[in-house]
Amino acid sequence: MVPPTSGQVLSVLKPESLTGYRLKILIADDTPTNVKQLQVVAQSMGHQVVVAVDGLSALELFQSEAPDLVFMDIMMPGMDGITAVRHIRALPTEKWTPIIFYSALDRMQDIVSGLEAGGDDYLAKPASTQLLKAKINSYARQIALQGKVRGYAEELVRWREESEEQTRLGAYVMSRLTDAAGLRDQMVHSFNLPAETFSGDLLCAARAPGDVLNVMLADAAGHGLAAALSAMPLTQAFYSMTAKGFPLASIVEELNRKLKAILPADRFVAATLASIDVRNRTVEIWNGGNPDAFFLSTQGEIVMRWPSRHPPLGILPEKLFSGLTETVVFQEPGDLVLSSDGLTEAENKAGAWLGIDGVINLLACAEDTETRFKCLLQGVDAHLQGEPARDDVSCFMVSVPIERRQQFRFTAPKLINQSQFAEWRLDLTYSAQELRYIDVVPGVLGLVTQVQALKEHQGGLFLVLSELFNNALDHGLLGLDSVTKNWVGGFEIYMQQRIDRLAKLDHGAIALSFLLHQSESRAVLDISIQDSGPGFDFNKRLTDASALSEANERVFGRGIALVNSLCEQVVYSGTGNKVWCRYVVSDLVSDNAS
Amino acid sequence: MQIATDMTGSRAVLNLNGRFDFHSHRDFRSAYEKVMEAAEVRDIEINFRQVDYLDSSALGMLLLLREKAEAAGKNVALAGLQGMVKQVLEIANFGKLFTVRD
Repeated sequence: MVPPTSGQVLSVLKPESLTGYRLKILIADDTPTNVKQLQVVAQSMGHQVVVAVDGLSALELFQSEAPDLVFMDIMMPGMDGITAVRHIRALPTEKWTPIIFYSALDRMQDIVSGLEAGGDDYLAKPASTQLLKAKINSYARQIALQGKVRGYAEELVRWREESEEQTRLGAYVMSRLTDAAGLRDQMVHSFNLPAETFSGDLLCAARAPGDVLNVMLADAAGHGLAAALSAMPLTQAFYSMTAKGFPLASIVEELNRKLKAILPADRFVAATLASIDVRNRTVEIWNGGNPDAFFLSTQGEIVMRWPSRHPPLGILPEKLFSGLTETVVFQEPGDLVLSSDGLTEAENKAGAWLGIDGVINLLACAEDTETRFKCLLQGVDAHLQGEPARDDVSCFMVSVPIERRQQFRFTAPKLINQSQFAEWRLDLTYSAQELRYIDVVPGVLGLVTQVQALKEHQGGLFLVLSELFNNALDHGLLGLDSVTKNWVGGFEIYMQQRIDRLAKLDHGAIALSFLLHQSESRAVLDISIQDSGPGFDFNKRLTDASALSEANERVFGRGIALVNSLCEQVVYSGTGNKVWCRYVVSDLVSDNAS
Repeated sequence: MQIATDMTGSRAVLNLNGRFDFHSHRDFRSAYEKVMEAAEVRDIEINFRQVDYLDSSALGMLLLLREKAEAAGKNVALAGLQGMVKQVLEIANFGKLFTVRD
């Protein structure tokens, strides 16, 4: 429903448009000739008349008949007119009923007290027919206008109730949609202060397989329900693609495609997405339309900054959109900070913005995330000086640790009953054509983890598969050299080379095969990956990579060491272009043993 | 916000003055619709020199104008960017969507 907007002209009501308004008129008078005169005039104008002969019956009829207009004599037997009006005005009512005292002029003092008792007007007896008609018409216009205004007011109340109901529902659905275990991750601190009942800013956090943490801070244009509605489609895609291990660029591209398809041209969503990989010490960011994301050292200095490099989501068509991310290697622990413009543009009473410098100053209060986060929250509160924020204010703080030794955490696999177990096999080959645009690892992982016995191994299998597949692609087909990563700024160079070479890849293929079977009363998954590249001197590189040590990590790369720790056996063959490994799924038990 | 439109030949300049926000919706639309109807206009320049504030609904209006102009085969350029206006448009990377002039 469309509410009457402010400034809309209510009084296009011209006198003639109101003459058809039929009134119910209460006449209270104990003199029959006076009643007669009024009655004749009123009825000749088409109005309905109710007659009372004293104050008490006037009061009763007022309640039972709910008249639109009252003519009240003053001197009446029993209850007089002034007392009756005093009682009438004491009644609870939602509508205004004008009361005209109709009395002889010599009782001027009575008329004054009548008006003070709640009368609206007076007429001196005897009044001419002409004057009576004019008076009744004048009040008919006012009453009709009042009726219209009351109609609008009722409509407004209805509309407000409906809107409040929608807001309640919206807030409920939003809170259910946006609540996720990831937001309670020990690395994650966040706040979202809405400008209205609920926020159009959206915060999402989740772990990808292999323990990488993905976060998203989205700010839909505007605030309130309309903004929240625009941002809502993002949650599901973000969480499901993160859970499947899709790279950040693919997630961002999908989010943009979704919003472009459903939002009108003037709606969009600014967003920052970050992928924090503690094991590989990288932070990857895509920022479209949000203030700078930054990495703050424990000393409170900005070590890295990611300004907005793209237009917000939902504007560009797929062909022109870029999901290009920026990845940085971190050497020291610190806090990654993402925010919506509501934070930097938070206004105090004097109209001054908190600003990015204000935010950084607040964060410099301590060296640990917890305290810094509290400082920021209190600082924003103090800056707003009790005023409500004009825009939604939201912020993510991710405390990024340096872990010297990272071991993938396993949950002990459940035992599998022999009778529940069957062999399973999958063979796939991707040629250059497909490798250019398909996210192979999440796709294959999806197929593999459909198998009941492998479901709970999603994390471990993701690490093994992505490591082996990326080696085959990066080194086998793209000819990239891992040594590049060890240079200062080398990681970024490596990633750029990877993007460039992948786009130009025109020949070669990678074959993957999986075999789930029984070996020595255990369920094992044999994985083999073969690429069409030249291979490498595996004997030299793998003389002793069985133990996961820091020394080995440096020499052989963290990835291969990790695969060695996750698999029972890793065997290179051919020219080094083929790798086979055995991943132990669980022990098999006979049915009567369980 | 006040809008003064200069049309000379194939070029139309919309000179904006004041706060460009949600409340400017009707004025901005009627200003660009007039320009959109003029067949001889090929280039629409939005002059922000006198604009001191720009919010996200203003960005939405610019996107709407861009879509309408594209359909009508007209070019939209943003000019006179300064201060807060320039900053907001830069963060939103509108330089990738519109021609930007000094």
